[in-house]
Amino acid sequence: MSETSREAWRVFWSSNISKLGINLLAILVIVSLYVVFTYPLDFGLKYWNNPAHWVDYPKGVPPEWAKYFTSENVTEHRIYTLYVPSESRFVEAAGLYIKRYVITFDYQYDEFPSFLSFTVFNVTFNREPPIIFLEISRPDGVSARIYTLAVPGPQEGEKKPYMRYSETPFRVFLSGDPSVAQQLSRMLKRDFDISLTPTEINTIGPEKILFGEPDTGKNFTILKGVYRVDVVLASSDEKDSVGYVRFVVAGNVYGWVGTDSLGRDLAVGLLFGFPVALLIGVVTTTLTTAVGATAGIISGYVGGKTDDIIQRIADVINNIPLLPILIFLIFVLKPSIWLIVFLLVAFGWPGLTIIVRSMVLQLRTSQLVEAEVALGASKWRIMFRHIFPQIAPFIFAQMIFATPTAILAEAALSFLGLGDPSLPTWGQILNYGFRDGGVYVGYWWWIVPPGLLIVLTAITFVFLALGLEPVVNPRLRRFK
Amino acid sequence: MGLGRTLLIRGLSLLLVVFAVLLMVVIVLGATGVSDKILKAYVGEELRQIRQELSQRIRDPQELEKALEAYKLDLERAFGLDKPWYFRLPDMVRRVLLLDLGTSRTITSFSGSNKVSDIILERIPNTVILVTVAVVLSALVGISAGVKIATRVGSLLDRITSYFSAVSYALPSWWTGIIFILIFSFYFRLLPPGGMYSTPPPQEPLARLLDLMLHAVLPVLTLMAAILGGWIYVSRTIVLNVAQEDFVSAARAKGLPERIVMRRYILRASTPPILTNIVFGIAGSLGGAILTETVFRWPGMGLLYYEAITAFDEPLIIALTFIFTLIYAAARFILEILYVSLDPRVRY
Repeated sequence: MSETSREAWRVFWSSNISKLGINLLAILVIVSLYVVFTYPLDFGLKYWNNPAHWVDYPKGVPPEWAKYFTSENVTEHRIYTLYVPSESRFVEAAGLYIKRYVITFDYQYDEFPSFLSFTVFNVTFNREPPIIFLEISRPDGVSARIYTLAVPGPQEGEKKPYMRYSETPFRVFLSGDPSVAQQLSRMLKRDFDISLTPTEINTIGPEKILFGEPDTGKNFTILKGVYRVDVVLASSDEKDSVGYVRFVVAGNVYGWVGTDSLGRDLAVGLLFGFPVALLIGVVTTTLTTAVGATAGIISGYVGGKTDDIIQRIADVINNIPLLPILIFLIFVLKPSIWLIVFLLVAFGWPGLTIIVRSMVLQLRTSQLVEAEVALGASKWRIMFRHIFPQIAPFIFAQMIFATPTAILAEAALSFLGLGDPSLPTWGQILNYGFRDGGVYVGYWWWIVPPGLLIVLTAITFVFLALGLEPVVNPRLRRFK
Repeated sequence: MGLGRTLLIRGLSLLLVVFAVLLMVVIVLGATGVSDKILKAYVGEELRQIRQELSQRIRDPQELEKALEAYKLDLERAFGLDKPWYFRLPDMVRRVLLLDLGTSRTITSFSGSNKVSDIILERIPNTVILVTVAVVLSALVGISAGVKIATRVGSLLDRITSYFSAVSYALPSWWTGIIFILIFSFYFRLLPPGGMYSTPPPQEPLARLLDLMLHAVLPVLTLMAAILGGWIYVSRTIVLNVAQEDFVSAARAKGLPERIVMRRYILRASTPPILTNIVFGIAGSLGGAILTETVFRWPGMGLLYYEAITAFDEPLIIALTFIFTLIYAAARFILEILYVSLDPRVRY
């Protein structure tokens, strides 16, 4: 036995296509394991499908490497989060404790940021409510206090220390906030002698005014250089503190794969798709093969009424158009990954049963089986100890060959909007991209990668199956 | 035992398939309470009309409510809503068979009707056109290419085709369609991204046909991309297997010219299995049509499926599932006839 299996391996490993398949499979497994160990289990519901988690990401932008294909220096996405103040001091005259969080960065891009946002998390105070200022100093020396946050004071009966924004952070979308526009209107008047109403400022975009120099009329050209952002906490007690402050200079490119129209980092979602696709492929085909082979062996060996019944059922199921029935059942029974796997198994086994039966019919009349019967072996023993091992390599090859079908079926259902909402898959990402019109506006980074990954996963198993073919069917070997 | 009997048996087994699907659909609907929902919507619709009529005659609001309550009970009894769902199975089967499933929620037919049967019936031809064109083209290209390649096994062309068919097996056709849109419609602006006609559609018949063909190019190519690779490969393998049979060697040994060996000995024997393969391919193409129509907004039943899923329209989904099965069975039967008339061996 071990001699034949070594020979089988030699035949398998001798073709390049098998090697390619094994290598691709190794990559898929490694990435899947990485995801399984690093991602939270509730990733789909808590992060992926939760828009609040993605507010500070740029919306619908290409990957960072896309900027090497344009001549311009495209703005990269920058998130600055500070947990400890850069400077703390006490101002005697005012009786205030000042904590200053300073962010400096060199802005050398050829484009304006796509938006600016400011977030404060967990403000704790003990006496008077503190005030938080956001100030920006530009490379040309102009500086402005663009936002003032007066933290709400203690309510009646509330106990010290008072906590604010400790569950949901306080976030202000600076590009579009009326008070920011007002401050900018004042700054323009004071430093550049330009009159623009806050409404006009919001139509131009506050980020263009903050990061630009007034040109002629209402045009602004980009102002490159070192910017400094100060977040100042002015409080009446030394123990008052802030969990973190965050300042986002949103870019026009993001990450390895870019983002979708909700700002979701596509790389994160695509990575999550690896284990899901493998799980669906492997679980579905293992079960399908187990059911199909068992039914086929029983049908072929036992014969008679059992054979008739199994073949009748297999024939009917085999002739049902699969996709419409899957759509109907999943729609009525509500999408879930286990329902999808169950249905793919329930409608997938007959094909194998019909082939296995015909193979068993031939084996049943062999001398080996005759001898077994003469020796008094039971039906089950003959079926699973003597017949099964002879057709096992074929069944295994069929299992590998059926895996792409399961993966593609799940992807198709997800694309139609029938995917499991708690588990993001490649098909679902494509569904969002299609529904949102990403195709028609040329969001290639949203449309191409998920499809390529589906193809890659499916083709891995095709390669493996092609490599197994000469092992299972020696007749093909001479055509190499 | 002639042709008729064979076809009768095949026809009956296909009818059994249709019936099995029908039964499954109805049982699932009953057990999940969806059929209750549909019938109650029916009752509600009728009651609204009755209320309008009654309110003309009965002025007293209390009397009106009482009368309506009586009507409601009557209607519920008539629809079988007072009994458990399994008593209603025959009635539900009849409803699905006749597409008597009431009205859709939001989707309407092109003429504005929201009766389920109206919506579906006008979409059937669009799907049939698309699938037929794609299948016929694929069969022509697939078989001829497969036969050609079988005569040159191991050549570069043969290896390229093998790889192509492997890729084609792993390629989600709908994604190919999306990529086609991205390339041919978005970047090169050569072909329309979707729909069946431009808006407004050209009035002149010839221009209209041309417009239709222009819109059909990408969907047909997409459907073909999904099936063509497999068909070429299978045709090649079948021809190759037949070519190794003893009777072919015997023919060659007799000194027959290669052309005649190919046509009379190899191709004639290969046709039935190739045809079987195509018969089974139809199921895949119908499934592919659902996705392809969705991608290209081709107003057939497939796109309707997608719209119904998005709009949570149960009656439409039920009717579509049934019609798809019916069309599939019909297509299978037509091919069976072709098959039986080509291969005398199956006339058992």
